[in-house]
Amino acid sequence: EDALLPAPLNISIISTNMKHFLTWSPVIVQGETVRYSVQFQGEYEREYANESWIPICECSFITTTVCNITEDISATVAYNLRVRADVGARRSKWGTLKGFFNRITTSLTPPLMKVIADGYHLLVELEDMGPAFQFCVFYWKKGQENRMQQKVVKEVSSVVHLDTMEEGPDYCAKAQTYVEVINRSSDFSQTQCVRAQGGRSVWL
Amino acid sequence: SGELYCSLPNPRNVHFESVNMKNVLHWSAPEGTGDGVLYKVKYLVYGVGKWIRKPECKNINRTWCDLSSETSDYEEQYYASVKAFLNGMCSDWIETTRFNPLTDTKIDPPMVSVSSTEKSISIILTAPENWKRGPEGESVSLLQVYPGLQYNVSVLNKKTKKRWWFSVSNNTLVVPHLEPGTAYCVSAQIYVTTPLLHSGFSKEYCIATLKDKTA
Amino acid sequence: LTAGNKIFRFGACRVSVSATEIRSGFTAIKSNIQARDPIRTLSILSYPHSLHKVKSSDRCCVAHHLFNFYVDRVFKHCKTEDSYVNRKISSIANSFLSVKRKLGQCHEQNKCTCGQESTEKFKQILANYEGLNVTSAAIKSLGELDILLDWM
Repeated sequence: EDALLPAPLNISIISTNMKHFLTWSPVIVQGETVRYSVQFQGEYEREYANESWIPICECSFITTTVCNITEDISATVAYNLRVRADVGARRSKWGTLKGFFNRITTSLTPPLMKVIADGYHLLVELEDMGPAFQFCVFYWKKGQENRMQQKVVKEVSSVVHLDTMEEGPDYCAKAQTYVEVINRSSDFSQTQCVRAQGGRSVWL
Repeated sequence: SGELYCSLPNPRNVHFESVNMKNVLHWSAPEGTGDGVLYKVKYLVYGVGKWIRKPECKNINRTWCDLSSETSDYEEQYYASVKAFLNGMCSDWIETTRFNPLTDTKIDPPMVSVSSTEKSISIILTAPENWKRGPEGESVSLLQVYPGLQYNVSVLNKKTKKRWWFSVSNNTLVVPHLEPGTAYCVSAQIYVTTPLLHSGFSKEYCIATLKDKTA
Repeated sequence: LTAGNKIFRFGACRVSVSATEIRSGFTAIKSNIQARDPIRTLSILSYPHSLHKVKSSDRCCVAHHLFNFYVDRVFKHCKTEDSYVNRKISSIANSFLSVKRKLGQCHEQNKCTCGQESTEKFKQILANYEGLNVTSAAIKSLGELDILLDWM
């Protein structure tokens, strides 16, 4: 009787900026192509649906050892995940993620931001990080950190207008992301300062 | 029972087309029937017991029927149905999918009016008017229907070709500190977060700031 | 457009609901689910009166009952042969579970009291539900999720 196929090991989650990936170590079978299938189980399934598991069809019988589970981790509850291997007619047991995964633990990186002065206008360019993200942009006159102003940017569309500037003083800004569905913010980006001068913008 | 022999091919693609809550039922003529086909229309408030005939759309030869008045309560959902008749034969009643005016309507872009001074432009945004029962009919503004309605506004400096974006919830925006004698073009979009809806962008409205009198 | 939360205020009870995520999950399966419900003349949530007729003082209790109803009785009977639809139902069910918990806490803290009218309204909803066989009732209830979301 063929030796039982070992279950995948080292199953773990890599979750950054609300993008969640399940990874595992490859199962090695000389001269054979091993295929993997992934299933998930939310808290609802555990408590109300007889602990049922739901297959992720994009990660059924795949040869890679990574699966993008972002679309299925779409509630802020604890999820279970498992993987098994198949070679021909041989099938391994399920390898299950140690502990649960809740998207509230995703790591949030500071946003890429560019502060621009266009004449007397203070603007900011932010990267689009997906629908879950808003940006809190703080800006102030250099030296007047105690009079910091804040703007929440929900719609990232290239250059966003923050405010108008007086001629002379430097204006500084920094930004952090905010994810409403998990109620968490990233660290701040680097502070950047600019100065308005008539029609020309000046970088500092 | 005088019921006609229903072997006529069915009307096709029976669906609501809704813009600013003006809800019009549309369909295509049955395959291969040519001219002379007449239609009847009925509708139903979902969850309420009976289909209601639309008299103004009885024995019509056009392939649309305005049901705005009948579907004006956007807290309800609806079905509509069409039957075709030709030479003593008829088709089956063919229904729409369930129609939810609140989420299934398309919103037109806002109207944009722009004025300028030497160093600023003022923008007034007007959301499109909702469907009205008639010229004197009472109109419900989109703002009442969608309390979270906001505007995305883009301002393009024609000289530098730089575009700035503003997100505003009231309907006016003043952009100060601009360059005199410079053309700026403004375009705007409506967006609603619950339910998730957004209009297309309005066409661009361009205006020049006045020339600097002291120069 | 941000997949944002919405803070629902039911009197003293404040509950954050990932409304946009729930709605986009529902929109993805709406026509599939509603096509499985042939009964046009009966609504689980809107018969005989629309949810919009619920007094504001009763809103919290009705919401509390409804989220319990969907989690406890509806989703488990909505399994389909379509794995994409099942995944979306799971996503909605898990989101409803976290809202159900928050409303439950409000209820325990007496911020979500139930009056006569809200109890009557919910009894009517259960009567509508129990008037059909369980699978038809569950699929119809799921197909009416936008009625609940529009009301909230």
